[in-house]
Amino acid sequence: MKLALRELQRRPGRFVVATVILTLIALLLMFLGGLLDGLVASSTGALRAQTGQFIVYSSTSRNALVRSRIEPATHAQVAAVAGPGNTGGLGSVQLGSRIPGHGPRDLVPIVLFGYELAPRGLPHMPPGPDEVYADTTLKAQNVSVGTVIELGPARSRVRVIGFVSDSQYLGQATLWGSLATWRGVLTENRPGERVADGVVQAIIVRHDAAHATTPAGIDAATGGATTTLTTDQAINALPGVAQQQSVFDQIIGVTVVIAIVVVALFFALITIERTALYGVLKALGASSTTLFWGVLLQALIVTLIASAIGIVASLILAAIIPPGSIPFIATPLRLATSVAYLVIAAVIGCAFSLRRVLKVDPAAAIGGGQ
Amino acid sequence: MFLALREVGRAKARFGLLMAAIALLVFLILTQQALQTGLITSFIGALQRQSAPVLVYSVDGERTLQGSVITTDLEAGIARVPGVAEIGKIGQNTFTVSVNGRSQSDAALIGYATPSLGAPAPLSAGRLPDAPGEAVGSAADFSIGDRVRIVGGRPGPELTVVGLARNAQIQVTPTMFVSWSDYVAASRAANPDAKAILPSVIGVRPTPGLSDGAVATRINEALPQADALPKAQAAADTPGVAAVQGSFQVIFLLFALVVPLVTGLFFLIITLQKSRALTLLRAIGAPAGVLVRALLVQVLIILGGGIIIGTLLYAPVSQLKIGSLSLRFDPAAVLTWAALLLVLGVISAFAAVQRVLRIDPVEATTGEGGR
Repeated sequence: MKLALRELQRRPGRFVVATVILTLIALLLMFLGGLLDGLVASSTGALRAQTGQFIVYSSTSRNALVRSRIEPATHAQVAAVAGPGNTGGLGSVQLGSRIPGHGPRDLVPIVLFGYELAPRGLPHMPPGPDEVYADTTLKAQNVSVGTVIELGPARSRVRVIGFVSDSQYLGQATLWGSLATWRGVLTENRPGERVADGVVQAIIVRHDAAHATTPAGIDAATGGATTTLTTDQAINALPGVAQQQSVFDQIIGVTVVIAIVVVALFFALITIERTALYGVLKALGASSTTLFWGVLLQALIVTLIASAIGIVASLILAAIIPPGSIPFIATPLRLATSVAYLVIAAVIGCAFSLRRVLKVDPAAAIGGGQ
Repeated sequence: MFLALREVGRAKARFGLLMAAIALLVFLILTQQALQTGLITSFIGALQRQSAPVLVYSVDGERTLQGSVITTDLEAGIARVPGVAEIGKIGQNTFTVSVNGRSQSDAALIGYATPSLGAPAPLSAGRLPDAPGEAVGSAADFSIGDRVRIVGGRPGPELTVVGLARNAQIQVTPTMFVSWSDYVAASRAANPDAKAILPSVIGVRPTPGLSDGAVATRINEALPQADALPKAQAAADTPGVAAVQGSFQVIFLLFALVVPLVTGLFFLIITLQKSRALTLLRAIGAPAGVLVRALLVQVLIILGGGIIIGTLLYAPVSQLKIGSLSLRFDPAAVLTWAALLLVLGVISAFAAVQRVLRIDPVEATTGEGGR
């Protein structure tokens, strides 16, 4: 083991190639993971921000907010199951927005939500008519408290009265206002999607101890007119979220396999180069286990150095990327998972050198192999 | 040559494993390429297939069909722009449907008011609708005679598929082209509160002699609310297309790096392993050029074999349908990747070639040749 460490100290140049390639792979893993986390966060923030545990859609909507439509009578049936004050309507509309200081064709895509039950971070009561809270990512678009934003082709005007964090929806910034504000903007800009008074797209249901509310209970009470999902189920039903996750997971998997191949090939090369030396060491009494642990230790140290550089680079990247541009976030869990993947790849990659170390014949040291 | 082939023949497992690894990588690359092409075609195929040469979005729609709404004033303004010969309403939305009485699924409806400005062309089977209640469906998802019922807040129209168009999906969703009246009926069934059903875009045909790009420029200059684009540009600029292409470029770059990396390291390792034999060959008079040629022949055999096997694995997969996504065999992609990987693989053998060239025949007499 000491020999392995001493070799790393005295001949670091020999390990530079592997360290550089593994650093690139570490960066790639962390960047891909951070990008996935950022994309998912920017798609799901609005649903994660809900303080209710269930989301009720109309049964013909296939769990798409934009296609869901719940009549007041259905809302009343849900409220009867969940208890007074435990339900609130939710509506959304996606529009281009004109923000002061932007050019006439430089629109910012926005989703306006109308709500009754306040999402996390917002006051209990929804804001007044034509007043909204804005997602913090809009600060990067020069939005501040008091900014008047014009929405859609009808230029419906709403005034920002505060901010809420981590509430993006399908990759877009959000505004949060009352249901009345939402209905007004919807009618002015999307006459084909307008809804009558009392109609909402979905109902947020808060579970309390006094009412044993379950998704099945809600759907039974509405006679099958609704489909009720837990918040997690609703997040997974968002278009693209599951697909995004699966594509990125596959890329991350391929990257880990690449790491295994790199470690395996590199340490196989080093082991071949050292065959004669290992013969001498075995002739002097070193066991195959000791020699293999030395190779493994070197692989782990190289991997950990590469991982450390990757972590620092990821944290710097997360700090310098302006909010609202690339959806990249570096969470401790993601960084730790990436390091774990690389360590596992190093161990598996090294295992390919084990057979070579075992095959070294000590007799070769005194010419027995000639 | 003789030595190279004899060595490959004797160490079948070793060379076979490398060939299998390269075949797997080639298979993965070609499958990802087919996925990328399939995904983009399924995302914007309907835009490319529809017949209007120029599409006018509202600026607020940000070049998405579902986000764009054309007001009556804007529609009238477009018709008045000099150089516009003909205009037609085109609407698009996604609906919940039941096909042949089966359980609910999604379908995108594209409604057009003028067949020459919005209907799909060409058709792969059947005919265009000539009566209300008829539709052309995306060939990957529908068959002629399918009966599709719109499921909404109130009973929707039932559509019968009378024609099929290949590569005509939008947003990776089964897609149907219907008359404007059927589109309006479907929209009202989905939302009985709807006031007016406005078009998503306006299809435009320029006057003879005026190019699609020129009429688009005139419309954009005349109407600040309009965002006119020639058909091809409208498809390419659809939000998400660039992101999909960018993501796949990263994957392809990774794979393109891995193939030469694996090949290069493999041949470097086997060159090191047989350095004693190579030194001996040099000592008995084998020129370095012969050894280098033998090495390159092995590289080409392994890469060529891997590419052929990978392509053979890819061929049946390219005929599959994954959900709403249809894949297809792309000979151009196969040829491009084969050429690229062969070149990169040969370049990657440079380190092994250098090692061969560095062999000093004198070492055969000192025992250094094994190092």
